[in-house]
Amino acid sequence: MAIEDYVPVAADDWYQRRREDAEGQFFRRVADQGPRKGEGGATRQGIYCFTADGQLLTYKNAGQNPDVMRETIRDGLRAWQRLPEDRRKPGAITVEDLANPDPQYARTPPPGGLVVNVYTRILDHEQDGLCRGTCSVRGGEAAARDHLWLTEAEWKSLIPDDPKPGERVPLPAAVAERILRFHLTDNTRGEPPMWRRDEIRSQNLTLTVAEVTPAAVRLRLDGSALLATRADAAKAERGFDVRLLGYIGYDRAKKAIDRFDVVAVGDHWGEGTFTRRARPGRMPLGVAFELASGKAAGDLVPPQAARETNAYFGTGKR
Amino acid sequence: MKLAGKCLLTCAVTWGVAMPTASAGDPQAGTPPIRPEQFAKLQALIKPDAGEDQWAKIPWVTDLWQARQIAARQGKPILLWEMDGHPLGCT
Repeated sequence: MAIEDYVPVAADDWYQRRREDAEGQFFRRVADQGPRKGEGGATRQGIYCFTADGQLLTYKNAGQNPDVMRETIRDGLRAWQRLPEDRRKPGAITVEDLANPDPQYARTPPPGGLVVNVYTRILDHEQDGLCRGTCSVRGGEAAARDHLWLTEAEWKSLIPDDPKPGERVPLPAAVAERILRFHLTDNTRGEPPMWRRDEIRSQNLTLTVAEVTPAAVRLRLDGSALLATRADAAKAERGFDVRLLGYIGYDRAKKAIDRFDVVAVGDHWGEGTFTRRARPGRMPLGVAFELASGKAAGDLVPPQAARETNAYFGTGKR
Repeated sequence: MKLAGKCLLTCAVTWGVAMPTASAGDPQAGTPPIRPEQFAKLQALIKPDAGEDQWAKIPWVTDLWQARQIAARQGKPILLWEMDGHPLGCT
């Protein structure tokens, strides 16, 4: 149904309910026909079915079981079919191009930059190893998703000017801080709290030149970090004691990164406002990074933390 | 994206990657580095399996205005999945 009978679109309500352009006004006009009036800036999230000219057909809050959602989508189709045929015909409605999108709420990857998929999953101990964890929150055991954006200057800074095998350099500070503060988070049950700069209690991330050929430069990233809400991590309400290992590849002919495979695993504890019901105690959490193909619908979705661009790109105070 | 409801999923796979819990006194003292031979297994453990996320198979548009234009041209209604935390980027 979603593919054959609808135009399916996914969006972040944080942007949509705030943007002051025709798109934001259109969305709020649709949402106002349902229960989510957005009083006081409240969320308008949910599943909406509506016409291209803005008539709401049906609405349901998200997080329902699949049967409920399936019926909601069917309800929307039934409401659509009840509309006069001349309103449903291709071309019956005309939508001009969006003029003057609100720049405050538009996010695009940095020109020439790097887009990296980020997956996070709760893990658990079993016998002598790790396995996938279990969660009391529906979907909390699934791999959560996000994206890491690096500017062109930042990814180029990963490659030493005159790389020599065995050469070791610190991971550039801007890249290290972005990974640590905004991507080593537990987003498996909802929107995560990000780490403040002063909550990076220690970090030691290094790039080692593993191989240099006329065609390529291969780097290994490894190291550790301790993130915690208190200087004394033993007393911190939330923290992540994490090790990283990764492999970064640079194609010299194409002048492009062709590999960015990193894993981060360690003990995480605590929860945030929207990530309640964390497992008690310190439990393993894994984060994996890989280059985005650029072909998936989600590849252009901005990082969760890019809502605050100054903080995300390191131009802010915190 | 906020998640509701209650569901337990039993772990079925052991990956043989030992990661001792850190001690409280010196949190990183007991956390060993990740060994290269552990890397591939850890990566597979964390990343979604093929088909794990059925919703990802839907060809989502990520621009609402563009969706309006497509829907108008094709004579279809719009299905909007709107969450706090982008459904395709923070789930």
